[in-house]
Amino acid sequence: MKTQQLAIVDGVRTPFIKAGTDFAALGAEELGRVAVNALLTRTGLDPALVDEVIFGCVAQPADAANVARVIALRAGIPESVPALTVHRNCASGMEAVTQAYEHMMAGRGEVFIVGGAESMSQVPLMYPQSAAEKFTRLSKAKTLPQKLQAMAGFRPKDFSPRVGLLLGLTDPVCGLNMGQTAEVLARELGISREEQDAFAIESHRKALAATERLQEEITPVYLPGKDPVVKDNGPRADQSPEVLAKLRPIFERGTGTVTAGNSSQVTDGAVALLVMSGEMAEELGYKPLGYLKAYAYSGCDPERMGLGPVFAMDRLEELTGLEIEQADLLEVNEAFAAQVLGVLRAAKSEKFSRKVLGRRTPLGEVTMDKLNVNGGSIALGHPVGATGARLILTALKELERRQGARALVSLCVGGGQGGAVWLERSV
Amino acid sequence: MKATKPITERIVTQTGEGDLTPPPLAGGAVQHEVLADGVCVLTFDCPGTSANVFNESVLQELDEHLGIIAQDTRVRSLVLRSAKESIFIAGADLHALSASLESSAEPSPGLANFIELGQRVFTHLAALKVPTVAAIHGACVGGGMELAIACDYRIASPDKATKLGFPETQLGILPAWGGCTRLPKLVGLPVALDLILKGKMVPARKALKIGLIDATAPKERLLDLARQWARRGKRPASRKFGVMLTNNAPVARLTLPYVRTRLIRDTYGHYPGVLKALEVTCLGVGSSLENSLQRERDAILELARTEASRNLMRLFFLQERAKKVQAETGFSLRPMPARKPGSKPSKTVDYLPSIKHPAVIGAGVMGAGIAHWLSSRKLPVILRDLNPEAVARGMTTIHKNYEDAVKRHILTRTEARAGYDRIYPVTGNVSLKHTDLVIEAAVEKMDLKKELFRQLAENTGPETILATNTSALSVSEIADATNLPERVVGIHFFNPVHRMQLVEVVVGHHTDPVVLERTVRFVQQIGKLPVVVSDSPGFLVNRILMPYLMEAATLFTMGARIEDIDGAMLEFGMPMGPLRLVDEVGLDVAHHVAETLTLSFADRMNTPGVLKNLLAAGLLGRKSKQGFYRHESKTPRPNEAVAMFQHPNGAEQYSRTDLQRRMVLLMINEAARCLEEEVVTSPEDVDFAMVMGTGFAPFRGGPLRYADSLGLARVVSELQHEMDLGDPYFAPCTLLRSKAASHETFYPQKGVAV
Repeated sequence: MKTQQLAIVDGVRTPFIKAGTDFAALGAEELGRVAVNALLTRTGLDPALVDEVIFGCVAQPADAANVARVIALRAGIPESVPALTVHRNCASGMEAVTQAYEHMMAGRGEVFIVGGAESMSQVPLMYPQSAAEKFTRLSKAKTLPQKLQAMAGFRPKDFSPRVGLLLGLTDPVCGLNMGQTAEVLARELGISREEQDAFAIESHRKALAATERLQEEITPVYLPGKDPVVKDNGPRADQSPEVLAKLRPIFERGTGTVTAGNSSQVTDGAVALLVMSGEMAEELGYKPLGYLKAYAYSGCDPERMGLGPVFAMDRLEELTGLEIEQADLLEVNEAFAAQVLGVLRAAKSEKFSRKVLGRRTPLGEVTMDKLNVNGGSIALGHPVGATGARLILTALKELERRQGARALVSLCVGGGQGGAVWLERSV
Repeated sequence: MKATKPITERIVTQTGEGDLTPPPLAGGAVQHEVLADGVCVLTFDCPGTSANVFNESVLQELDEHLGIIAQDTRVRSLVLRSAKESIFIAGADLHALSASLESSAEPSPGLANFIELGQRVFTHLAALKVPTVAAIHGACVGGGMELAIACDYRIASPDKATKLGFPETQLGILPAWGGCTRLPKLVGLPVALDLILKGKMVPARKALKIGLIDATAPKERLLDLARQWARRGKRPASRKFGVMLTNNAPVARLTLPYVRTRLIRDTYGHYPGVLKALEVTCLGVGSSLENSLQRERDAILELARTEASRNLMRLFFLQERAKKVQAETGFSLRPMPARKPGSKPSKTVDYLPSIKHPAVIGAGVMGAGIAHWLSSRKLPVILRDLNPEAVARGMTTIHKNYEDAVKRHILTRTEARAGYDRIYPVTGNVSLKHTDLVIEAAVEKMDLKKELFRQLAENTGPETILATNTSALSVSEIADATNLPERVVGIHFFNPVHRMQLVEVVVGHHTDPVVLERTVRFVQQIGKLPVVVSDSPGFLVNRILMPYLMEAATLFTMGARIEDIDGAMLEFGMPMGPLRLVDEVGLDVAHHVAETLTLSFADRMNTPGVLKNLLAAGLLGRKSKQGFYRHESKTPRPNEAVAMFQHPNGAEQYSRTDLQRRMVLLMINEAARCLEEEVVTSPEDVDFAMVMGTGFAPFRGGPLRYADSLGLARVVSELQHEMDLGDPYFAPCTLLRSKAASHETFYPQKGVAV
């Protein structure tokens, strides 16, 4: 059995930018290209050394199928290097890293460029199926009368678009929107609106306080003829209980608690990481940010997908024997404030641990001074395919600053999954 | 040995159709096959070279084949093609042509025979009873184009390598193998004049649009397409409305004086080739083939006698030399061994690796321009500056350059995007260990550059070439700031980088010969023309240009009008007047270069105060919309506001001839001095650099060539005359005086009747 380690050498990301603003015109492939371009320059890596490029992307662009390949070629990775796109919803960016580990362990390469890219601005509007069928009929019509007949078949409702973003954020199995799954957790675990809003305010406060630290992982994005985009535009200084209280619940009218203010933002951005075997890192003279120690993915109830991290962390403890309290830092992705608070509650609940996880003792208690210390997706935004890779990058950089030993990073995944990884600073 | 013949050829041999093929003729530049369906294929393949050119023997060989074809009853149609990778036919053999021009003041009877032979062969081709098709892949130039338009049909591959055109007038001559005569019949007079007078090459897509070719197909399918066109039979006379409208004698007679007036206005009549071509082409419409061909012959023999055509031809060869020759440095420079893709480099030849990973420091106008150019030549390039704002400005410039290239159909949108993607923008100090060339294009401050190079020397690999794009500072002094001065060299690009072909490669005191050789090759690799110069103030081009620009400013101060100063030099043949040029370069830059040179050559140079005055008044030229000119509209107008910097009573002191003489004399004197001080080693280098770097009237051949044509004794006495009038900076340099005294010239005198 090999005991190889996957070294995370370095990483860089674009600023995370609210959808529909500065990056509205950039596709996921362009964002990914910029990140890989900057990664190559920062690391000075000879692109010919790369064995494979793996990128996560949820809303894969229709005009850049296998977006990882498009990113790789446009960033100057040699044609001979293969590339694949991975999809595990919100954990896609994490999946790219863990797949690199698996490829390495299977002897399929030593140097990988991985990451995630997402343009939520460019998730398309779609024609309804009825319209698509009628367009097909029209294109097959040969004579003028046939064409006229086919055209006469269209009805106004055929042209009302299906919003791709909403479809993507709705679980097709349980039929709930992601926000509605958060409402389920808020109801069942008794998480109040005030708690959620307070959590959101903290996220913004921490992100703003970390502006300079986060800058280390950001590369400017140059838009011809415009000012360079140099920092995240999600964090807000004006968030207060009063301001947030004014927002209306969007997923459960009237009685709900989940608002735009205590949910993650819809965002464009990309992250690129250079990962390789520990030996290779040493050979090339790199000082890695850290190493991937272990990881786990786990399934759970799609209606309560927000608790995914609990299941994944449980499995990870089984694999490694490491308890969550041994982490110097924790990143639990902030899809919704209700969902993160739910995870914390479930993790320390004896009842939940016994009944649902079948454990004798709870997972453990997460103290706020270790959790999402530089803010989370509520403030920074959540470009779904990229976030998993960002959490790993942000955690490792912070671990270095704190001279900590290990960090635990996890996300909930739409469709009822959780993902979690242990990162360590030294082998 | 040709390992890979085109597939079609191989098929022919396999099916045994080759049996019909007559034995090859002596010379062997044309292969002759007759295929089973009666299609005769003539394939041009001049032995021992990558280009097909027409010399006497190739023309004769072609004529013999045409004779055989005319008699061969099996032949139903004729297809002409080339076996070369990227050239159909590159035109007449210019070496043969120029030899007959250079050998005597009178064109040799050889030239007359050569022209007549070509006309005869192409007339034979046009007169064949069977339909003829030129299947063009690669460059189809001059004589090659005249061959093609003597065919019934022309088809071409839409390949990048395929370019068609008549560049003869660029060399001071005209298409004389029926080009002027046949082209208007094919495409109409206006299009024909545009092609012939401008001498521009057009890609296949454009050629199809203007009717120069009939269809396009991928190169592998050209023969199939040629068959289809041949089935149409001989080509009927053009019935296109546009062609009929313009191709009649009255219209042509009216066109002639109209276009001539315009040409003379734009070129001051300096280019006799263009004027002759216009006349011959217009008169050819409506006159008999014989008469028109006679006019072509007379015209080219007359043009061949002109100084202009010789100078233009010579410059053409100098350009070709700069593309290939390495040995300007005096070091033994081996050509790069040609390698097939995939094969390993030969171990016996120690070739030098080409540049693959360049970086540019500084994203200003020059840095961005250089980075853009390198990326457009398929090189990934790191572009570094201090902060995101500076990089952003550079990226915007680069993006704009690419957008322009798309608008002008030079690049497709995909190609432009790929080029832009090759820029790796970065701020701050990243490792440059894996770069093989760093070009510094930062602010022109010696202290800053020294510090930068000190850092670069530590932050790069042992093989990395460190180049500065300085236009005036000493390369050696910069080099001495590093621990490895042998790696430092100057690569001086001119602005705008993507338009100016010349690049000065500056050899510092310690520059390693291998570094120099790699640099020269790099400049060639990126499609620029290198001139190797020694490290001295202003190098070559700016050094010669500055006295001229300073004199223009001085004359302005003394009261000469802006229109007169610039007009005088436009009449001389410069592409732009000197004061306008100062505006374009920017008063700040011009002033800086002038100051640098003034410091070094205080005996004869003195920065005119007016430059400083304009600078102080914030009149920076184009960039601030005001300088000697107001740059508000597309055509700048002289700026009345600067009259306050003129001497009040000096006006009308100089005629345009006087102005021109003073400015040109200073350029000649400084050019001679550069040769004297061995900034470069040959008069060719000086002249070539001045024409390519400043647009110095090409038909005059460059300042030294022009001095030769004036007579050096006259140059010296005119310089002395100005000196005697009270301007000591006109003192002729030693080299000029000694050459004049011993009746020498800069260039060897070949058979010129004295």
